[in-house]
Amino acid sequence: MSISRREFIAGLVAAPALVGLTNKAPRPIAGGFVDDAMGVGHSLRDGRAVPHPRDRRRVHVAVVGGGIAGLSTAWELDRRGARNFVVLELAAQAGGNARSGENDVSAYPWAAHYVPVPGPRATLVRELFVELGLLRDGEWDERSLCFSPQERLFMHGEWHAGLEPEFAMSLGDRAEFRRFADVVAAQRATGQFTIPSALGVSRASALDRLSMDAWLREQGFTSPRLWWYVDYACRDDYGASLRQTSAWAGIHYFAAREPDERGPLTWPDGNGWITKRLLAKLGGYVKTNAPVSRVRREGSRWRLTSARAEYDADIVIWAAPAFVAPYVVDELRAERRRTGFVYSPWLTANITLERWPAERGSQPAWDNVIYDSPGLGYVVATHQSLRTFEPRTVWTYYHAFADLTPELARQELVRRDWSYWRDRILDDLARVHADIRDCVSRVDVLRL
Amino acid sequence: MNVALFLSVLAIAACGLIYELVASALASYLLGDSVLQFSTVIGTYLFAMGVGSWLSRYLTRGLVARFIGIELMVGVIGGFSSTLLFLAFAYTGAFRLVLYALVVVIGVLVGLEIPLLMRILRDRYAFKEVVSNVLTFDYLGALAASLAFPIVLVPKLGLVRSAILFGIVNAVIALWSTFLFAELLGTRRALRAACVAVLTILTVGMTQAKAITTLAEDNIYSDDVIFSRDTRYQHIVLTAWKDDLRLFLNSHLQFSSRDEYRYHEALVHPGLAALPGARRVLVLGGGDGLAVREILRYPSIESVTLVDLDPEMTRLFATHPLLTKLNGGSLTSPKVRVVNADAFVWLDQNTEMFDFAVVDFPDPNNYAVGKLYTTAFYRALERHVSRGGLFVVQSTSPLFARQSFWSIVETLKRARLKTYPYHVYVPSFGEWGFTLAAGADAPPYAPPGTVPPGLRFLAGPDVAQLFTFPRDMQAVAVEPNRLNDQVLVRYYEKEFDAINR
Ligand SMILES: Cc1cc2nc3c(=O)[nH]c(=O)nc-3n(C[C@H](O)[C@H](O)[C@H](O)COP(=O)(O)OP(=O)(O)OC[C@H]3O[C@@H](n4cnc5c(N)ncnc54)[C@H](O)[C@@H]3O)c2cc1C
Repeated sequence: MSISRREFIAGLVAAPALVGLTNKAPRPIAGGFVDDAMGVGHSLRDGRAVPHPRDRRRVHVAVVGGGIAGLSTAWELDRRGARNFVVLELAAQAGGNARSGENDVSAYPWAAHYVPVPGPRATLVRELFVELGLLRDGEWDERSLCFSPQERLFMHGEWHAGLEPEFAMSLGDRAEFRRFADVVAAQRATGQFTIPSALGVSRASALDRLSMDAWLREQGFTSPRLWWYVDYACRDDYGASLRQTSAWAGIHYFAAREPDERGPLTWPDGNGWITKRLLAKLGGYVKTNAPVSRVRREGSRWRLTSARAEYDADIVIWAAPAFVAPYVVDELRAERRRTGFVYSPWLTANITLERWPAERGSQPAWDNVIYDSPGLGYVVATHQSLRTFEPRTVWTYYHAFADLTPELARQELVRRDWSYWRDRILDDLARVHADIRDCVSRVDVLRL
Repeated sequence: MNVALFLSVLAIAACGLIYELVASALASYLLGDSVLQFSTVIGTYLFAMGVGSWLSRYLTRGLVARFIGIELMVGVIGGFSSTLLFLAFAYTGAFRLVLYALVVVIGVLVGLEIPLLMRILRDRYAFKEVVSNVLTFDYLGALAASLAFPIVLVPKLGLVRSAILFGIVNAVIALWSTFLFAELLGTRRALRAACVAVLTILTVGMTQAKAITTLAEDNIYSDDVIFSRDTRYQHIVLTAWKDDLRLFLNSHLQFSSRDEYRYHEALVHPGLAALPGARRVLVLGGGDGLAVREILRYPSIESVTLVDLDPEMTRLFATHPLLTKLNGGSLTSPKVRVVNADAFVWLDQNTEMFDFAVVDFPDPNNYAVGKLYTTAFYRALERHVSRGGLFVVQSTSPLFARQSFWSIVETLKRARLKTYPYHVYVPSFGEWGFTLAAGADAPPYAPPGTVPPGLRFLAGPDVAQLFTFPRDMQAVAVEPNRLNDQVLVRYYEKEFDAINR
């Protein structure tokens, strides 16, 4: 059924741009900070508030941290027949950075929102995914692979399909993108980026001592389009700029993925989908509201102090962030002075929209990135819906503080109130969706 | 010098530029090729302004009254320029003529404004200041207008109302001039009355802009529009001309009553006539009830379930007299159950089984509809089709959209189904394709030798012929369509663009 020019015009005539819109009063926007357990984290670090619970329990294994690492550990222990173990989680909800929320419109992620399709050597992940029904007879579940269109980029006043700014590239830019792909392929072939890294070539590498921007320069890459693309990747994956990211990590973003993957795997609730399924099976082992404030040697065992009980364990598996360990584990005190990893803070927001805003260019994608924006763009939680028509939607907005040092960024996070972030986020989105404020009913902000 | 006076120069200049932009933008919307439209419209307009400036020498007496008259004319003609252009496009074959005639007339009038104004002011102020100030505000006005046009006016007001708004500005300046230059005017009352009349007409135009564009729309669907509604999901338009009833969804032709029987007979009978034991039938999409009409020709069919997204669509086809005549009242038959739901989700949430299913969705021209043409969708559907049953998929044109058609067939194959593609000629669409699909363990399909009585197009012995493809429609190597890689939408877009070039 082809459309003639006249029929096409009929659409145009009816378009609001030609007829005019009536303005409504701006709708009130609800929301606030969601529980981010910031306080508990700080008191752990300051050694404050160590409780003295009466209850003492004996377990074979104690897992500290109920994020995806802790829950996967529980899954593996259970699979091997272990029953006498516990997972201790600080927050009221397990999942850590793979937790999710839900409202009457959609489920949505709070941080981690996808898993790249695991390669053939990632056998443990693949086994887990077989169990979750994601991989059957060597074929990935189509409904869990990210639907078309996956990505789009806002540039020069409209949306374009794909993340590489292809439409704005000179011949030179194109040549550099191709050469970059070749260099990445060569790096992938060395095997040092293959996941799981434990199986890879020994990790120590000259790339660790070079920043990503220095590496790009050293390789003779000069295209501003390519630089933007790689910088975006670093901010997206590490919350860090090209200068703050090591060349190894920067290349890892590209080289660790399968070259021909048709993914990633994603769900409305992001990686919370996996968390929920692990919890459904293993929730009995997990204790929430159970921050571990102290771990110390007691004879041949370890004693863990948690909010309501003390645990004596033969083995402790640390699945909480590594930088917390020196403040909790007596034996690691000496590590406190060492400057190791720096953790960049993040800000995510779930934005509920009562209708889709106006926009120009290609159709809404799963991941929507704005060129030259300080934000990382937004991911559409309803994208994996099987409906052809979704009247309302939830967007997860990501912001990394790559322009600030982590300390300054953290101060900024604590100092500013919710309405500041709401306005910053909506201002950023208003650049691409002029009427965004008329569509949004809630902005819930999480500081990570 | 009087600042307010020069602000009116600014306003006049802004009006002049706005009419020029409105004409250029409309011409590029309606005719395409914006570079050509903008440069020819602007060139003509500037030339006409030159003519106006030259003509100003012939106006010698009663300058103020002339100036006010010109303002009013610009106000009316410029203000209604986009309205006139829309209507000219919809109702006449002479859009270009009207366009350039309007541009010339407005250009000449606008070209008269500034020279006249300068001459009026010459007697009040020093000439060098008049020239410097008038031109400064003239150019400032142009800047203001060119910024406001894309940023505020088009998005907030639209082209019709933007032009009218600036017509009102012209008229207000005319009215104000009757006070400003009162001492230079003889009869003020008549002039003021004229100003008020023009203002009234323009204000009415402003409030009726929507009606005007609808009027234009009526004619864009070359026949009479007998029904037009924006539902939550789509824009439904029904047109009638003599005995030809046509349905458009989002401006895409869905059927013409003159030849829809070819389409719907071919959609239903090759499959259903081959299943003498069929009792329960499912129709996905097809809210027009025309496929259901064909299904009800089999007395053995006990129930038909129609799943269509849009309740307004099924209500329309169950109640409108012309439409129930066309579909034989199929949607109100006691055997028929209408479900308004999104098809994919409905399949997932149900366990009902059917012997035959008809899939009649709009063409896969966007990623939302494209989901209904994926391996995942066909797998979900297959679970509702009984052993030995069949389903048929409307599969676009194997001639105009050859890759799209064969991509749908390939998608069905990748969903591990047996496929039997066929095609038929429907004059209002051209060559059209369908695919029958059966479970991997079903017996091979054989075209039926007989079809129900009363058909206008198909006869039993002809069915088998539909399955042969001439050389220019035969299979090509294409990818299947998957949720995570909707190649079909890209094929369709590409093939569609090629036809419309
Ligand atoms: C904004 C953002 C987006 C991301 N997006 C993705 C993505 O799309 N895909 C992806 O694969 N990865 C993504 N990641 C990374 C991913 O989230 C992490 O790699 C992964 O979730 C880490 O899991 P974890 O269990 O190691 O740590 P965490 O998720 O940090 O879990 C640690 C848990 O330990 C708990 N804890 C801390 N201290 C204590 C204590 N003393 N006692 C008890 N419990 C404690 C915490 O409350 C937390 O629940 C993202 C990260 C962020 C911040």
